[in-house]
Amino acid sequence: MVITAASTVETVRTKFPRAVIETFEDRDELTLLLKPENLVEVCNSLKKDLPYLETITAVDWPERVPRYDVVYQLLSLESQCYIRLKVQVGQRREQHPEVPTVTGVWPGANWYEREVYDLFGIVFSGHPNLERILMPRDWTTHPLRKDYPLAGFDLPEPHWGGQVPYNVDPGVDSHYYEQTLRTAEGRELNESRTDINPNQEPGTTKGS
Amino acid sequence: MQQQEIEYQYSANSDLDLGEQSNDRMTINMGPQHPSTHGVLRLILTIEGETVIKAVPDIGFLHTGIEKTAEAKTYHQALVLTDRMDYTTPLNNNLAYSLAVEKLLGIEDEINDKIKYVRVILAELQRISSHLVFLGSSALDLGAQSVFLYCFREREVILDIFEYISGVRMMTSYICPGGLQAEVPAGFDAKVRSFLDYFPPYLQEYHDLLTNNPLWLERTKNVCVLTKEDAIAYGTSGPVLRGSGFVWDIRKAFPYSGYEKFDFDIPIGTNGDVYDRYMVRMLEMEESLKIIRQALDGMPSGYYRVDNKKVTPPPKWQITGSMEALIHHFKFFTEGYRPPQGEVFVRTESGKGELAFYIVSDGSAKPYRMHVRGPSFANLQALPRMVEGSFLSDVVAAIGSLDIVLGEVDR
Repeated sequence: MVITAASTVETVRTKFPRAVIETFEDRDELTLLLKPENLVEVCNSLKKDLPYLETITAVDWPERVPRYDVVYQLLSLESQCYIRLKVQVGQRREQHPEVPTVTGVWPGANWYEREVYDLFGIVFSGHPNLERILMPRDWTTHPLRKDYPLAGFDLPEPHWGGQVPYNVDPGVDSHYYEQTLRTAEGRELNESRTDINPNQEPGTTKGS
Repeated sequence: MQQQEIEYQYSANSDLDLGEQSNDRMTINMGPQHPSTHGVLRLILTIEGETVIKAVPDIGFLHTGIEKTAEAKTYHQALVLTDRMDYTTPLNNNLAYSLAVEKLLGIEDEINDKIKYVRVILAELQRISSHLVFLGSSALDLGAQSVFLYCFREREVILDIFEYISGVRMMTSYICPGGLQAEVPAGFDAKVRSFLDYFPPYLQEYHDLLTNNPLWLERTKNVCVLTKEDAIAYGTSGPVLRGSGFVWDIRKAFPYSGYEKFDFDIPIGTNGDVYDRYMVRMLEMEESLKIIRQALDGMPSGYYRVDNKKVTPPPKWQITGSMEALIHHFKFFTEGYRPPQGEVFVRTESGKGELAFYIVSDGSAKPYRMHVRGPSFANLQALPRMVEGSFLSDVVAAIGSLDIVLGEVDR
């Protein structure tokens, strides 16, 4: 069966009548506006026909409630059609709105969701490793939000240039460096590590 | 299958369990200053002897905030930012961005065939130069130093063509929304044709150097295999996806800029190993030559910009003589043009894979949101899947075969 964007919309509409809020077409591109709570089940059923997740991104509309569009682009390699899914989240004064993760459907969603979390502050609940990916790990704000200034804003000194604490590595528990590692001969591997970096808090500086 | 994927995800990201470690397991850093990480990629590798148990890529060292910056530029100004993402394929980036803006403006039907053909020629030349960078640097990583020098020698010829047509070697911004920046100079045709005759013997030379070289085969055959299912699940594209045996090329699936008029094949691999990804790129260079030849032969005549005063500034000679033209020129470069509200997602095939622009317009002269779906970002995500369980030295081969550019990964 040949799948088109329109037939996909029909399938979703009949299968999940409550999930679809709206469908709209702009410049030959179909968009399905979904409820966030139904996102994962719709994606699961769409995966058979549209197995390729192109990207996940978000758009910030600060005046609007809900504030964020989270955008998913799906592609069918066999039928050569594509569709855009959207969910809208972010109530007034909600700092970190939540969207269910689709990493269970597409493992490739992992980094895209981390990017959206990093740059927009949208939390993907159930994500296996939701950490900052592009910005430094101790960054506290989300740059692609519209209320984030383009240039020139004051951070306290240790944050200049987004200084990352020396004992924090992605993928490695910070706890790891507190352990004493030994080689097969019993020599301590990291005996001098604490002298170099006494587990400093990012806000403090030693000596200077 | 799906369950397996989820389990993999969790295991790859769970914290190190020190209790189960044997004594010779250790965590080492590769990069961000490692010569074979092609920029500033950092890999945190857990190795046991020579075997990689776990690989965690750490990216973001080259994050330049291009998507944020673009929101403060007019559509015409944001063009130059796109050159700087994937700096080995600037013209492909220009093309993708221009197509997206043109679709947003609704003027994609006004682009004449001459513009399309010149764009295709430039995009294919850029693809060859990108593949040459891949070939040279990945061969260099695996110890074949002379290939690197040869590849950069041929790339220089392509860059000379770009300099001839636009005045700039790399960051040309020559393809722009609404056409091309300047008229194609006389002699462009002859220059490209001489390249078409010049290049094939050298391509054969690379084949002679590497394709059947036992050392090269040893380092690349059955190394860091990415299966077809994984390649799709991780969203890889371009030569990585094709190397895994999937026939998929945006130029064929969603033809843009007149690609439907050209006759070319999509080379694919069978195993999805480093050698297949290398071979796909080698064959793609031949296909690119085929496309360029067809485009040169069928080159129609026409004006280099669309005849639409909204997106085309007046020619320079008018400005000195006409007040209206001067005002038009001034308005164009200070205020820019205002596409109608809406959003577009335009995908193209760059040298690395699927390069797509998602642009949202709110009706103002600046993009409300510009998201770039870069091929390197998705391809790099599949790296842990490839290297886990293989040797430490093969990590170098895998990174080389992915052909990532960190400027695009981090944007």
